[in-house]
Amino acid sequence: MANFVALLIAGLATGALYALVAVGFTLLWQTSQTINFAQGEFVMLPAFFMLAAMHAGLPFWAAILVGLALSVAILGFAFKRLLVDPMLRHGVLPLAIATMALSTFLKESVKTFYSAEASPFPSIAPDAYLHLFGLSVSWQNIVVLGVAIAAVVALQFLLQRTRTGRQMQAAAQNPTVARILGVPVERMILYTFLINGALVALASLLISPIYLAKFSNGDTLGLAAFIAAIVGGFNQIRGAIVGGLLLGIVDNLSAAYISTQYRGAIPLCLLIVIILFRPNGLLGRAEERTV
Amino acid sequence: MDTDPIVELENVVAGYGAMTILNGTSFRIARGAITTVIGPNGAGKSTVFKTIFGLLRPRSGSIRVDGRDATKWSQRELLAAGVCYIPQGRNIFPELSVRHNIELGAVAAGPELKDMPARLEAALDRFPALRRKADRQASTLSGGEQKQLEIVRGLLLDPKLILIDEPSIGLSPLMVQETFTLLTQWRDKGASILMIEQNARSALQMSDYGLVLELGQTRMHDKAQAILNDPQVAQLFLGGVIGGAGAV
Ligand SMILES: Nc1ncnc2c1ncn2[C@@H]1O[C@H](COP(=O)(O)OP(=O)(O)OP(=O)(O)O)[C@@H](O)[C@H]1O
Ligand SMILES: [Mg+2]
Repeated sequence: MANFVALLIAGLATGALYALVAVGFTLLWQTSQTINFAQGEFVMLPAFFMLAAMHAGLPFWAAILVGLALSVAILGFAFKRLLVDPMLRHGVLPLAIATMALSTFLKESVKTFYSAEASPFPSIAPDAYLHLFGLSVSWQNIVVLGVAIAAVVALQFLLQRTRTGRQMQAAAQNPTVARILGVPVERMILYTFLINGALVALASLLISPIYLAKFSNGDTLGLAAFIAAIVGGFNQIRGAIVGGLLLGIVDNLSAAYISTQYRGAIPLCLLIVIILFRPNGLLGRAEERTV
Repeated sequence: MDTDPIVELENVVAGYGAMTILNGTSFRIARGAITTVIGPNGAGKSTVFKTIFGLLRPRSGSIRVDGRDATKWSQRELLAAGVCYIPQGRNIFPELSVRHNIELGAVAAGPELKDMPARLEAALDRFPALRRKADRQASTLSGGEQKQLEIVRGLLLDPKLILIDEPSIGLSPLMVQETFTLLTQWRDKGASILMIEQNARSALQMSDYGLVLELGQTRMHDKAQAILNDPQVAQLFLGGVIGGAGAV
């Protein structure tokens, strides 16, 4: 039983990470119909920004800030202006294909210019276990869970409780009407890209100590975020959170009780089951757009 | 016809892609009055509104609002000049609450609008259903209630000019009456109203002027009473002389 609870907590921690990435993915889809197939690489890359900053002599905390800033600037702002805006004029599909090309480009660039090997990455959590009620839970998991929850709560607060957040929602739900009411729709869309830049940097910071920083880290992460978003309904932030958590738990439990060999297949099975029984996802609705 | 119009279109040419819908459209809309635009389906009525509100850019011609050249104005400039546009169909944010939907009607005024809470309360008071469901998702409103939401949202900043496209579609006869009454009150407070309506007879009965649009051009523009009494108009748009009211 204690073992099961520990696994559950580890699963939640993994799931919270997936959720962070899936939430960013969903935000981009909601506001600009961007299906970002490079989202996994977006999580892989900031760790290298941070490593490079440390090589340049910065302390870890400053390297984190540099990585976060670069991530918002490059994976948020530049991504929107240089790739999404020009491609979206040609349609949703050309844009999706362009993000696939970007994913390969980022992966190969890191491999060529940084390293093909996995690089150790410092952790913000102490390397120790917390013993509580006969359970031992790693601080790693607790910190991951705590930071991810804080990020999601902050994001929900922004979206629900602030004027700007509600304007972002309005721009996502009905851009034409938002424009008619004077909402600066373009700016609201840009904000979601900046937020995604910050979310992937956070995820990168949390996940790289566990998996080590490696150019190919994006493969599984991107897939996990994609599946979590679809499982959750694709067009809902709450859905992406539930989808991410569910996936993390299933992932960890199946690795422990079934076999690590099938670990890669389990998320896909989950996806198929959900698509069969709830085509709009766990919390999703059919897309409807007027005007 | 009017020397100091609130809106004036002069030879406006506009359309979608290669297709031209407004083919040199011209008219002057009277200040402080209700003008109803009628015309067959596809005449370009909604296109006129989209063009005035900058969602569609004219290929040539000019638009003047309140005496100023508004041909190239953005939506924010139009809103700042006191123009509001309530389009045809459903135009809500389904997942935001009713209250937050209405609040978005004040975006153009910026965060420094001090009496925002009072305005919001007044808007909710206008229609009991909106008050009752203020904190529910807007998608839970009935079609008619959604339209009421759009109207009070549009009126939140006390517009000088209201462009309203087919407000009566999907509304019960009682709701249509309430909506028309509200618009009349607004006119009496000094606003100018340009309205498109399929419900032509009842709309003209509460209007000051009528404008008949056909193939993107003004066919007739006169006192509402004169339009109502015109035999040709009666036959084409009012469903005969007797009992046409309420026909959609
Ligand atoms: N977004 C669009 N893209 C292409 N064509 C359009 C678009 N919107 C309208 N049209 C076409 O332009 C013409 C005029 O449309 P408009 O909506 O202005 O007509 P309307 O007079 O408002 O008609 P209705 O009474 O049906 O609302 C129609 O032939 C319509 O099919
Ligand atoms: Mg129309």
